[in-house]
Amino acid sequence: MHGVSKYKVPGGKLIEVRIDYEGSITKAEILGDFFLYPEESIADIEKSLVGVGIGEDEAAISERISKAARTRKAEMVGITSEAIAKAVKMAVK
Amino acid sequence: MMKWRVIGLEAHDAYFNMAIDEVLLERIRKKKSPATIRFYRWSPSAVSIGRFQSMAEEVNMEKCRELGIDYVRRITGGGAVYHDIKGEITYSIVAPEREFPKGIRESYKEICKPIIEGLAALNITAEFAPINDILVNGKKISGNAQTRRNGVLLQHGTILYSLDVRRMFSVLNVSQEKISDKAVKSVEERVTSVSSYGNITMNQLYAALLESFTKDKEYEFGMWATEELEEAEKLRIGLYGTRKWNLSR
Repeated sequence: MHGVSKYKVPGGKLIEVRIDYEGSITKAEILGDFFLYPEESIADIEKSLVGVGIGEDEAAISERISKAARTRKAEMVGITSEAIAKAVKMAVK
Repeated sequence: MMKWRVIGLEAHDAYFNMAIDEVLLERIRKKKSPATIRFYRWSPSAVSIGRFQSMAEEVNMEKCRELGIDYVRRITGGGAVYHDIKGEITYSIVAPEREFPKGIRESYKEICKPIIEGLAALNITAEFAPINDILVNGKKISGNAQTRRNGVLLQHGTILYSLDVRRMFSVLNVSQEKISDKAVKSVEERVTSVSSYGNITMNQLYAALLESFTKDKEYEFGMWATEELEEAEKLRIGLYGTRKWNLSR
């Protein structure tokens, strides 16, 4: 299955999430006009979403993203881990 | 006080413009290039998209090819921008991070200050709008994007001189229904340019920006070093000019 969602963070930037899933997420892509430093850490954040069960709640998904970001010392501007998690949930419909 | 190099207004293609900025990031880290402020235009006109955007989604590539307009993915995040050769001036500022406020939001504000001052010198009252925009009467006149790596900060941004909304719409991917008069009007309500505020030439805008960006800085006008140009050419051909990079999302 393929899911796509777009979420504009209030006061922030746009997030687009594209996912493939079969019970859990097998591939995730995060797009948008946000800022993320270092930019390369997007790959780690996307990877952190692989294996997320479709029933997993937003807080748990957000924590996975935060952990991946912390590991890379990544800084987000215009988006948050919570906002990405929200977009992921929106894509699993 | 740190000494800056200023590279006066020049025009290059999109791939070189993006390549030289990355070369500066890397060479300043290695202390091989001085902190640099550069002013430039895009020739041919081009669309640049943010690092995390989808080229196919944001840009009408077929229309770009038809009009001879380049398209490139930036190293920086942010949104899609149409850079018309006659319609804007772009700047890049690249220097050690310690020269700027630590916080990203604060540093945007600080680096955008000379743009606001430059516009003020032309009797245009502009204000900073977080995260990365500058507005005049609530309409966007300048967009800016920043990255930091290995202790070096790069910020580049555009100052709109004149606006051709129809041309912009023809290369930025918006659905046909958005190209209605109503949508054009809506963009004109959200975006503005220097030429809307009096009989100001591109040269006058450049002079005002040059003055405001260099005020309170020790600087000298410089040229590109041969090595910088060679490295940029490698990156231009090997990365920014490639489908692999530009269509990676």
